[in-house]
Amino acid sequence: MREVSVIGAGMAPYGKYPEKTLADIAWPAVKQAIEDSGLEKKDIEAAYCGTALGGMMAGQRILKKLGITGLPIVNIENACSSSSTAFREAYIAVGAGVYDAVLVIGVEKLTKFGGGTLPLEKEDWEVSHGLVMPALYAMRAKRYMHEYGLTEDQLAMVSVKARKHGALNPDAQFRKETTVEEVKNSRPVADPLHLFHCCPSGDGAAAVVICSAEKARQAGADAIRVAGSEINSGKYMTGYRDMTTPEITLRGAKQLYEESGIGPEDVDLAEVHDAFAIAELLYYEALGFCARGEAAKLLEEGETSIGGKIPVNPSGGLLSKGHPIGSTGVGQIVEVVRQLRGQCGDRQVEGAKVGLTHCTGGGVSGFDHGVCSIHLFAR
Amino acid sequence: MTDAAEELKQALNLAGDAVRREKDGSVRLVGTECNDCGARVFPPSDVCCECMSENVSALPLGPDGTLYSYSVVHAAPKGWTLPFVAAYLDMPEGVRVFAHIVDADPDSLTMDMAVEATIAKLGTDEDGNSVESYAFRPVSKGDS
Repeated sequence: MREVSVIGAGMAPYGKYPEKTLADIAWPAVKQAIEDSGLEKKDIEAAYCGTALGGMMAGQRILKKLGITGLPIVNIENACSSSSTAFREAYIAVGAGVYDAVLVIGVEKLTKFGGGTLPLEKEDWEVSHGLVMPALYAMRAKRYMHEYGLTEDQLAMVSVKARKHGALNPDAQFRKETTVEEVKNSRPVADPLHLFHCCPSGDGAAAVVICSAEKARQAGADAIRVAGSEINSGKYMTGYRDMTTPEITLRGAKQLYEESGIGPEDVDLAEVHDAFAIAELLYYEALGFCARGEAAKLLEEGETSIGGKIPVNPSGGLLSKGHPIGSTGVGQIVEVVRQLRGQCGDRQVEGAKVGLTHCTGGGVSGFDHGVCSIHLFAR
Repeated sequence: MTDAAEELKQALNLAGDAVRREKDGSVRLVGTECNDCGARVFPPSDVCCECMSENVSALPLGPDGTLYSYSVVHAAPKGWTLPFVAAYLDMPEGVRVFAHIVDADPDSLTMDMAVEATIAKLGTDEDGNSVESYAFRPVSKGDS
């Protein structure tokens, strides 16, 4: 595989845009990414578009607005990892030399469902018996609290930290800080999770342009190198599973660290899949930022806040920046690229050289998660 | 039709072959076991997820299991009776089952406690019909 870099990044702020079409939500992010790359639209040789619920031909619907047509456009669904999967596929294509410059889009419009929990596949057995995503994460939380003594206050602190970061991000859906008491007193969703422990439903889009090293030099771009890329599906397990160990993340991180030669101690910031507050704590441990059972301590000591040893979700994460699910993977990459370029203003992680993105997708019986994709970026 | 038979017929609408009532009235969940490699799975499957054999047999589970984790759920799609207790139960045959917990004060539930299978109304469908399936409840002492 030859070297691949991200040279352009664009975001449409996450929020609720029921009056806009999916294409109208997304095209500003695509235009921004191309302009940021220094390339012209004619240089784009292929496009990969990730969306979980955006419907058929989302990529074509978006790109016709900007006249980027006639090229290969591939639409990819992989639940909440749809666009991290699209990024991975684009990375492979450029790395293999099939294309020199490729566009990757992540997009979702969840307001079309009118709110509530994420609609899941009804043919799934557990879904047919009433499983919803908050309940799944709640059961992870409950078991983790039982085994490791995590307190309700500590769980609420994840959301407090997320909102504190999100307040500094103009692209975030929630830009208001919160408190432990406010989190604990918000509406109950699935105990121990309250509303503020859960990511919001919303709309949004993100886009990046990736290219070969030679193309990056030609474009004169501020290139951020893709230092590692992995994707896995979950292992289907019919038996007793330890729900406090996210096996797919653990397995993927190990593989990625080994392949890239970059370890958790080298990572300066991470954007992780904090769909619910408990998830962020489980991922501190699975990604190797702390030992088993020590996630709450790492959080309480401020090590995962901006200014700490390993800032996690400086963008606000899914909890505060938002989670238009198909957009999330590329949205995380946009944040890491901007952080490594030093473009993040008040939420800048000083001196960041290596960043990690981690995106999962769930909602299928018998899996920890159906999919997980992790990427490393370096400058 | 007797009440018990009617109850079971309704349950089968949602759970199909995954639940049955024994002659003594107790409710059993039913998974499958592979006759070639021994792998066990719930809900039932026509093909083994380990060795791909189609030589599989029904495997009655429990009826008692242990409560691995649970949550009182207040948000779910229309139709489910809210709030309900969602849970994962570990069955002695080595498989894990997702089910609702019924007939219990959520505050009385504890991790790893013994629970038994039953049939319960879980919600109402779009036509106003009762949606019933298997569920679990704490094992009642002295109740056979």
